[in-house]
Amino acid sequence: MMNSGFDRRDFLKVLGWSGVAIALNGCGNTSVEDGKETVVSYVETNDYMIPSISTYFNSTCAQCDAGCNITGRIREGRVLKLEGNPDSAINRGKTCGLGQAGVQHHYNPDRVREPLLRKGGQGEAITWEKAYALIAEKLNGVSGEEIAFLTGGVSGHLKVLLGNYLDSFGCKNHFVYEAIAPAVLRAANKKSYGVEMPRFNINKAKVVLSFGADFLGAWVSPVHFSQQYAQFRKGVDGQRGVLIQVESKMTLTGANADRWVVVRPGTEGILALGIINALGTASGDIAAKVRGYDRALVSKETGVPPGQIDKIAALLKLRSPSLVLAGSAAEGYAHGSQNAAAINLLNHVLGNVGKTVEAAAVVPFPQMAPATGNTAALKTLNDGLNAGKYKVLFSYAANPVFTAPGAMKFKDSLAKAGFKVAFAHYLDETAMQADLVLPLDSALEDWGTQVPEYMAEGAQINIQQPLMEKLHANTRGMGDILLALIKLRRAEEYKKFDDYYAYLRTAVLQNKGALGGGVADDDTFWNETLSKGIIKLAGSSHALSGNAATAGLSLPAPAAINAQYPLHLIPSVSASLRDGRHTNQPWLQESPDPLTTIVWDSWVEIHPKKAAELRIAEGDIVEVTGKNGSIKAQAYLFPGIHPDAISVPLGRGHEALGRYARGYGVNPFQILDAVFDKETGELALHETRVKVSKTGQRVIVVKDEGFVGGKQMGKKIAVRVSSDKVELSEEV
Amino acid sequence: MHRFLRLSTLLIGLFAAVGSYAVDAPQPAPMTEDDLGPAIEQPIEFPHNRHAGLRNPNDPTNSDPLKGGMEIDCMYCHTYARRSAVAGIPPLQKCIGCHQSIASVRETPRIKKLFEYWDAKKAIPWKKVHDLPDFVRFSHERHIERFISQLNRPVQEVCGYCHGNVKEMTVARRSKSLAMGWCASCHQKDHPVTAEGGKPIGNQAYWYNFQKPAADTSGGAVKAQGPNDCWQCHK
Repeated sequence: MMNSGFDRRDFLKVLGWSGVAIALNGCGNTSVEDGKETVVSYVETNDYMIPSISTYFNSTCAQCDAGCNITGRIREGRVLKLEGNPDSAINRGKTCGLGQAGVQHHYNPDRVREPLLRKGGQGEAITWEKAYALIAEKLNGVSGEEIAFLTGGVSGHLKVLLGNYLDSFGCKNHFVYEAIAPAVLRAANKKSYGVEMPRFNINKAKVVLSFGADFLGAWVSPVHFSQQYAQFRKGVDGQRGVLIQVESKMTLTGANADRWVVVRPGTEGILALGIINALGTASGDIAAKVRGYDRALVSKETGVPPGQIDKIAALLKLRSPSLVLAGSAAEGYAHGSQNAAAINLLNHVLGNVGKTVEAAAVVPFPQMAPATGNTAALKTLNDGLNAGKYKVLFSYAANPVFTAPGAMKFKDSLAKAGFKVAFAHYLDETAMQADLVLPLDSALEDWGTQVPEYMAEGAQINIQQPLMEKLHANTRGMGDILLALIKLRRAEEYKKFDDYYAYLRTAVLQNKGALGGGVADDDTFWNETLSKGIIKLAGSSHALSGNAATAGLSLPAPAAINAQYPLHLIPSVSASLRDGRHTNQPWLQESPDPLTTIVWDSWVEIHPKKAAELRIAEGDIVEVTGKNGSIKAQAYLFPGIHPDAISVPLGRGHEALGRYARGYGVNPFQILDAVFDKETGELALHETRVKVSKTGQRVIVVKDEGFVGGKQMGKKIAVRVSSDKVELSEEV
Repeated sequence: MHRFLRLSTLLIGLFAAVGSYAVDAPQPAPMTEDDLGPAIEQPIEFPHNRHAGLRNPNDPTNSDPLKGGMEIDCMYCHTYARRSAVAGIPPLQKCIGCHQSIASVRETPRIKKLFEYWDAKKAIPWKKVHDLPDFVRFSHERHIERFISQLNRPVQEVCGYCHGNVKEMTVARRSKSLAMGWCASCHQKDHPVTAEGGKPIGNQAYWYNFQKPAADTSGGAVKAQGPNDCWQCHK
């Protein structure tokens, strides 16, 4: 046939004919499924359930600890979208990207679905009865001191129940570990203001001077602060608020600031004292303390030009009230407490305490207040494990094998615990080391109460309720598991509660009066509470103790450059990935980093000058080596970083957790040095020193910003003026 | 031209075309001339005629199931149709709600099967009879509002525009093509904008295609076409 002259033209004709035939075929009702697809109707249903019409239920976001109140849109019995609850004082109807991804936590294909018992290298699915019996057997004859319970931040009734459970065998070893919680700041605030977490009124300030507090991105309660920030920008008395951000690596907040002041890593406290000195309004002890910090010295040590210091001081003098914030970048050093104390002192000197720093409302049930903690607690646990103290270890909502600093070798310590039980949503790095993994309901399937650490206005207790039926038959709520476990110890006391829901209902109704129930009958009050999703309380507040003492405040001179490891490693906390527990939600991997626009991978941020010096170009795979190992990632040239520092984002580099997390990027937690804050014993996250070397490989950086990057290509979109040429106080 | 019609060329074209069908198999049954859809076997052979069919005037007690229906309003069971875009299938509890007190048919095979599902609390896996491609958004609510509520047309007539004469079927079978041209053929008709006893309709609602409702020359009734923007259905 080919010989008979079937040429190119014929071929094209045939292609044309068959193409038409295929197209016609394709236009048929191929997506119509008459007689094939099953339509499943309800067996029984509520009147308000109408197919294709959404219903809405209020609950609480569990993606971070800020405690934003959410409203879930449910259609045909499935939760589709989460929005903010407009009645919430915390988030006022808004959510962040991390919160939006909550549905991907719920529908995640990598959730653990059965209780798993370790059998060699594998997990064998077992029944819950067997799992509970096994725990009872392992706890038999074990004293309270030999049991450890590691959790992330817990609050509300779950914390009470957990406390009671630990109490039932006299165990005091409850370790609370949140890898990136502001633990040093809490201690410093307690000293400076008398409370760990006061209320910051960004909206009432005319100037905000933030030392590395990324309050628009990942710091404390970012959705709440973002709204305050919007009010602050609209201005008090028509004066638009001015934001000055002092940090060594630009954060999202830094990118939004009017003035971004780059400071040598670790010298934030020195700059704060320098500003107090430049203000010249302090007297007594404080004046004596800051006398040495004249602008020449401060400028030399921090790298901030003297004129800049004067301008900041002039602006702060001109406009009152202002607000000074100490963020994680300032507290991440061995002298982090001192840094934070110096920065808080600035608030005292400026008279902001009581105006923009106020006492926060307190829930009148101290037993429900959030349990907080950081690496100091983990260190104690680690030491205990190394000493072989613990026969049974429980782990919930923490993933220390991933987040503990590499120098701690937590994975090895964990192997020394006798029997390890992990309550888990995913098989994360810690669950992979466990002997027994108990699968948890997602946050959208579970009951609970939560008390946020940062109280926005009045005190509030957040209600968490299921937005839909459970996806998997064999997952359990953490509360239900604890209740089942405590029934094994104190059957008499708890037998009246069928499940955690019954416990919760009883507990809330018992305190109906204190919770604002008034004279409403039980059912009405309970239904109203669930419908609102928030219990707002009158709540008292601890008065701030205006303690501006300078005793014990001493800041070291900036550390000399380490010849072997000349660069500071700044592990940056991204707004969407945080400590990496949610990395398996692909939306979060997919959403570009706000500053570099990179997706699905880690990167090493490096200043262009330093990169030129090291002959590094964008996309070069560089090796970042510290005392505790090395990581390899693509280089990204970024002018918003101190030339003596590099930055690698946290959250990626999982070896487990799930298909969207495993194998993407690197984990900087692994190479962190075990340097701790001298006062609080918390990990100094920014103290690791590294060197950078090229590996010779180069990749194309996958990012949204295009090949020219952040360069303006002569278009003058934003005017660039060197910051020491700007007359801050005149301009704004 | 003669080369184009050569047997080998045509054969290859035909082969490719048939092949493409084979690749896409299984196909829905091809449409018949009268637009009748495939006969679908359902888990329970639900007798629409018995429920919605007309009463037999010679049998006032309605005792003979073969001869007459009960004239139940379509929307008594398909209650979601007037409330939402999709008509939905009635929940099982709806069937049971009546049938638990109809002793006369309680032991018939279909009702026994119905109660088996109910006792097991299992949903009946009905097969879809009327389906549109995923890129078409059809709203039942909108059509019911227009024709039943505003024009005051009888329910069975209005449902029948698209679903055919269901009151004479047992298991429903598609009897209209539901293809786009078929939908458009109705949307291009002039429909009366008001009807006696119906709800009055605001003018602006029928200004689709920039067409102002105009008095019909013959009868004097104001008429307008149905919406005919692409995005009305292809959102």
